[in-house]
Amino acid sequence: MNDTGFTQFSTITVLLLLAAFYGGTYLLTLLIRKDREDTSGFMVAGHHVGFGMGAASMTATWIWAASFYAAATSGYTYGVSGPIHYGLWGALMILFIYPFGRRFRKLAPNGHTLGELIHARHGASSQLILAGSNILGSVISLMVNFTAAGALVSVLSPLSFETGVIVAGIGVLAYTLTSGFRASVFTDFAQLVALMAIAIIIIPAVLFSAGGTGVMVEGLSRMTDEQASLFSVDAIMNQGAPFFVAVLAYAIGNQTISQRLFAVREKHIKSTFVTATIGYGAIVIGLGMIGLMALSVGMEPIDGNMNNLIPQMVSTYLSPFFVALFFVLVIGSLSSTADSDLSALSTIMMADVYGKNIARNNPNPKVMMLVGRITMIVATVAGLVFASFSLDILVMLVFVGALWGAIVFPVIVSCYWERVTNAAFTWSVVVAMALFCVARFELLEMTGLTVLTFEALASVGGAVVIGMMVFGFLGKTVGLAAGLLTLIAMLVFATGFLRDYMVLVASLTAYGASALVCTVMSLASNERFDFDLIKQRVGDYDGGAVDDDSAMIPEGAK
Amino acid sequence: MTNELVYGAYILIWPAITLVVLGVICGAVARDVRKAKKADEDLI
Repeated sequence: MNDTGFTQFSTITVLLLLAAFYGGTYLLTLLIRKDREDTSGFMVAGHHVGFGMGAASMTATWIWAASFYAAATSGYTYGVSGPIHYGLWGALMILFIYPFGRRFRKLAPNGHTLGELIHARHGASSQLILAGSNILGSVISLMVNFTAAGALVSVLSPLSFETGVIVAGIGVLAYTLTSGFRASVFTDFAQLVALMAIAIIIIPAVLFSAGGTGVMVEGLSRMTDEQASLFSVDAIMNQGAPFFVAVLAYAIGNQTISQRLFAVREKHIKSTFVTATIGYGAIVIGLGMIGLMALSVGMEPIDGNMNNLIPQMVSTYLSPFFVALFFVLVIGSLSSTADSDLSALSTIMMADVYGKNIARNNPNPKVMMLVGRITMIVATVAGLVFASFSLDILVMLVFVGALWGAIVFPVIVSCYWERVTNAAFTWSVVVAMALFCVARFELLEMTGLTVLTFEALASVGGAVVIGMMVFGFLGKTVGLAAGLLTLIAMLVFATGFLRDYMVLVASLTAYGASALVCTVMSLASNERFDFDLIKQRVGDYDGGAVDDDSAMIPEGAK
Repeated sequence: MTNELVYGAYILIWPAITLVVLGVICGAVARDVRKAKKADEDLI
């Protein structure tokens, strides 16, 4: 251990660990490599990923490096309930999307992206809003994961931050470039097995090395009442509620999820996503418990940086062998997410940008593959450059999160309600983003009628969130009832109270405003969309050019 | 003692669930591998 409190590996050891990880992963992809990849395999593995591979891939993809650090931070900050308020809601993002995923799949059985479905339903503007939000999300995710690699390598070895970033970027690109999504899913399985095995070993190891349950119970006296409570209001309002609000938004806004909804065999969607929900929750909450243990034993994070908590605990209580396992755990989690982001970005550029907007339903599969691979290279370089600059991504994250919140209602409702128009979709997102900015940055003085209006919009947003979740599982009538009850409850209890949590108000405003605008404009329209058209418009790209046919072009794109 | 048991269970239940999910996933993949071999198809 060095004077900063972390175990230090030599340069050779870390380089060997990285070479073993990325070299081994690359060799694995040789097992599935084909002489000639087709676009369907490259984008969605031919739509027939099995349950085991699908569940492993979904779990590994959703766990990124920040999952551990943030869960541990939550445990350290909010105490007993902290890890649950991070991991549970993250897990529910996977669970709550699958009923809608089955609908997406039914409408577009040959789809590759949610954007294609929206293009077939509405046309280019709605599709590009969705595709744009997906691209931003994946680029941010790439940057965060490469940054985590750089930080880990620089903390645990004499190597520089930039070296870690570059090795991770090149390593991930090398094994994903040739086979695309197929390589991503196949390697996700191996990475998840390693990740789970290490989590199963490390959590009890830290617990017992730190003194066992007796020491942890003693540590409860060191906590505040809020931290010691399983039902901490502080944890719910500051950690749980913002995450709960984002449950559907993150799932809809993330191509890595929709790509798997289109890739898994249709009959396995439910089992795959339920298993991934449980797997994700268990791993992330479990590792978050290390943050709770740190709080219990009175550990102070080095330099006040919460991201140091887990490496610090592992370095303090376990041997270097376990620290090496932890190193592999983090590299595995960030790589599995980064390769999924590369696959997601390449698929969006192939299908949404080239297939639907440049080639206009007459794409050349060879050019499409080239577009996909060039996208991977460009995205990796962009991720490396942004990571090296250590950019502050908070503002970007705020906007992307709001954009995802604004598109939830229009995207989902467009798949069920035949009256929704392209204009209703587009304007609902534009208005929602504008109102979100007013609330988030308090561009108007938040007093009197103004703040009351935003609280009312936020109440509608809360009703949309609950109503949508219930609708996914229990249908329209129960969903509408749940939404209405939530709206009444929020109008009665939340007005006058929510204004103390303006970040939450802003997020909910994005949902509420987009739902209101979309509903009003749709009710005013005469459009009655035939959902069977989506199946005709979203097809396979390997079978040659699609014949020119006016029915293939959505009204909104004409 | 009861507190210790409850607190210990609260922390250790997560790696235990992880172990079960790992078993389920590995079992499912093993079945898929066998099926793919039998049908002479690619696993993925």
